[in-house]
Amino acid sequence: MATIIAPPIGAQAQAPRRLHISEYLRWSVDHKVIGVQYAVTSLFFFIVGGILAMLIRAELLTPQLDLVQNGQQYNTLFTMHGTVMIFLFIIPMWGAFGNYFVPLMLGAKDMAFPWLNALAFWMIPPAGILLLLGWLIGAPEAGWTSYPPLSSLFSGDGQTMWIMSLHLLGISSILGAINFIVTIKNMRPIGMGYFQMPLFVWAVLAQAITIVMATPFLAGALTLLLLDRIAGTAFFNPAGGGDVLLWQNIFWFYSHPAVYIMILPGFGVLSEVLSVHSRKPIFGYRAIALSSLAIALVGFTVWAHHMFVSLTPELRIPFMITSMIIAVPTGIKVFSWLGTLWGGKLHFTPAMLFALGFLSMFVIGGISGVMLAAVPFDVQVHDTYFVVSHLHFVLFGGSVFAVYAGIYHWFPKVTGRMLNDRLGQVHFVLTYLGFFFTFFPQHLLGMLGMPRRVSVYAPEFQGLNVVVSVAAFLLGISVLVLFYNILRSLREGRAAGPNPWRALTMEWTTTSPPPPHNFHGDPVPFDDPYGYGTEASAAYIDAIERRFGPSAPLSTERRNMPAAQGGD
Amino acid sequence: MNVSERKTNGRNSNALLWIVLAGLAIIGGGFLISLLTPYLFPAQGSTQAQQVDNLFRFMLVIGGAIFLLVQGVLAFSVIRFRAKPGDVSDGAAIHGNTTLEFVWTAIPAVIVLVITIYAYQVWQTTRAVQPNEQVVGTVGARFAWSFSTNVTPDQFPAGVELSQLDPAVQADIEEDGYITITSPQLHTYVGQPVQLQMVTQDVLHSFWVPAMRVKQDLLPGRTTDIRFTPVEAGMYRIVCAELCGSGHGNMAGTLVTTDDNPVYQGAWLNVHADEAAFRREFLEPETLAVLFPPEDPAARGRQLLASGAYPCNTCHVLSDLGWTGNLGPSLDGVGTRTQRLSQTGQPDMEAYIRNSIRRPTDFLVPGFGPLMPQFNPEPDQPNYMPEDHLNAIVAYLLTQTE
Repeated sequence: MATIIAPPIGAQAQAPRRLHISEYLRWSVDHKVIGVQYAVTSLFFFIVGGILAMLIRAELLTPQLDLVQNGQQYNTLFTMHGTVMIFLFIIPMWGAFGNYFVPLMLGAKDMAFPWLNALAFWMIPPAGILLLLGWLIGAPEAGWTSYPPLSSLFSGDGQTMWIMSLHLLGISSILGAINFIVTIKNMRPIGMGYFQMPLFVWAVLAQAITIVMATPFLAGALTLLLLDRIAGTAFFNPAGGGDVLLWQNIFWFYSHPAVYIMILPGFGVLSEVLSVHSRKPIFGYRAIALSSLAIALVGFTVWAHHMFVSLTPELRIPFMITSMIIAVPTGIKVFSWLGTLWGGKLHFTPAMLFALGFLSMFVIGGISGVMLAAVPFDVQVHDTYFVVSHLHFVLFGGSVFAVYAGIYHWFPKVTGRMLNDRLGQVHFVLTYLGFFFTFFPQHLLGMLGMPRRVSVYAPEFQGLNVVVSVAAFLLGISVLVLFYNILRSLREGRAAGPNPWRALTMEWTTTSPPPPHNFHGDPVPFDDPYGYGTEASAAYIDAIERRFGPSAPLSTERRNMPAAQGGD
Repeated sequence: MNVSERKTNGRNSNALLWIVLAGLAIIGGGFLISLLTPYLFPAQGSTQAQQVDNLFRFMLVIGGAIFLLVQGVLAFSVIRFRAKPGDVSDGAAIHGNTTLEFVWTAIPAVIVLVITIYAYQVWQTTRAVQPNEQVVGTVGARFAWSFSTNVTPDQFPAGVELSQLDPAVQADIEEDGYITITSPQLHTYVGQPVQLQMVTQDVLHSFWVPAMRVKQDLLPGRTTDIRFTPVEAGMYRIVCAELCGSGHGNMAGTLVTTDDNPVYQGAWLNVHADEAAFRREFLEPETLAVLFPPEDPAARGRQLLASGAYPCNTCHVLSDLGWTGNLGPSLDGVGTRTQRLSQTGQPDMEAYIRNSIRRPTDFLVPGFGPLMPQFNPEPDQPNYMPEDHLNAIVAYLLTQTE
């Protein structure tokens, strides 16, 4: 039934290879080095965006201006916060996971185009610097959505730098996505069809297709905006025959799919983590795999729900219908994940805690998403804190929780060391509480009448805003716990061994961290990446350990136990 | 074997009962959650609000039930299926269940279909054209609202004879059959359907009255409209919901009034109890002010600025009119503020103030940025300010002495 790697005679467990910082500061075509480069860069910008968020919440402690001197300064804060978090944290962070693990999960030595891979990464740091330097010459103040005419006729010169920065990031994103599609298409090992791929790889494939189809539209819109700003054209200026809605249409034709660009790999991480840490096969593999594709495709038909207060009223109805439809494949995923938990043996590792946290928070974002799709209700809460809440439930409660789950799940593979469980639990509790009380009350603020993107607000909203700000500071502190854990574990974490979670996907069939070309010989995939609960899968995992040495922590417990209770 | 089989069968026969009970519990929970609806919105100010709130309550029943379902299954799994310490065995090798997967695809599909149909009906009713609509022109400009109503001679206060009027006003009425009154507040009365026809003078704005549950963007180059019918007298906040620049948060206007001092300032929607009160308190005084403009240019300038025809109040302080804007220099005492006159290149304060309106970037007061729009003399230009308005406003501002 299962093919098992024959352990070569005399193979020894290998101590984790020491990681030299200098290796990560220079051009490298090794997908693992590039993956870490992506991760560290993204986490740096996560801190930058997080500090901006703290400043925003500090300003909103009172209904008047106090921290910033005028509305314009405040506008630059949330413009930069949104842009940094979306384009310099979440999207590159999925680049990190994808680059590191897609080749490993496919048993490949590297990505299909290693040099292109490095090129895509090295566009990100200059783009980030370009964006932040905008503060020196008049930061952009039109929000991350940069609607003209505010962005074309009013915003500072930093808006032009914003355009150039996003252009670079868009090119980087497209190059990376092409690389993923080619790698997944061509570099699967013998015996692994599309429906034997790990679901993370499926999710990256769906994401990459979305990027390749959508991101050129962002490039087009940015080019038109750039010309309006510096070349005197009037694509978005009605005085010169242009149209302000043109920007909104093209921008959201990219930026709604971009929501799925930011969440699809998170869905993939969740499928991996829930199955492994529940010791149970993923429930409804095909439904999860294909619903990723369905989301990616239907995601291209819903963009104008971001324009429910600007679009011609009659045109809002078709977009309400498509926006409602897209809830169905997302629901399928959530129910399939619940089905995965049902009857499993749940181990509450930090990765699992964040995956469960994702499920419980993301569902709120899903419910508010359906409510927002209903035009008459959306009209009330459009451009209010309800939307701010919804998008953070999806992108923080969803994407960031998934990033955290992925960090705890795969840190042992990348570094050869375990993260500290206790600190991970503290991190989870702080994040979960901080997140909920930061974002849930914002639903109420929006419905009661507080618009988004304001630095001054009606005094009756102060109570809820104080709750939100205090919780946000807690959320800020929670991030410090993660960074402390990472830095501490890099130095003194327990050795992880090849497969600490006793997982079946192929990144665990090699040493931690993997050697330069990933595998010792040609690895053979287990025929079902989620085939837990069978004797064959237990034998496959045991064979990995016999070959590469013991793993922490499950395998150490395991040796003190009677024979594994496989069963069907 | 026998024991475990019996156990399984026993569980199955109870399963249906448990599913039914749990289903009833979560749906009941959804209903309970939906009872919160009135506390989540401002008080209902329009017929549209009633419809939207009903739609929301319906969605909250379903959303609340789904929330309870998912969190309940999660909590149950976390408790029931947690691995015992030291247990490193795997869970059951279950890969899926086609029936179950079909059910949880079909049920959400039906739910969103029902919500879509309901939402479509609400949408059609809330924006339906009403008979006898009060049509109000709405202008959004950084960072203030102004509202204009056309008043025809048959709506003039009793006793007004066309022949008594100033020839310029008469000519205005003859030209298009009405006069236009402008106000920084939007006035209407209970039961009167309102249609706003909205234009913007600069960037995107979005007209929102939370209590009315209506919102619509103002788009450069287009006229957009919005409809609502107030059901409750009162004063409601008008909010700009679309980012429009540094004063975006201030574009709601500020209220410095109490119930016994009904001096409405800033951009507020004021709803009168009935049409008689509306005519008495708002329409007739405003109409008379336009029909009989003050002879004195300074008084006329004051009236123009107080009417909200120009959005100066958002950015400037002017105590005489109760302005509290903080983005531009204060206008208190501007008539005698001569200490920087020599740097402006203008011969006197009148020329300086005039030039600051026609070409505001020629001289910037230290500490302030080039935020002010340029008000132009020609009707086809943006931010049109006729010469006689400018003369009156300058005359008024020159009376603001320290």
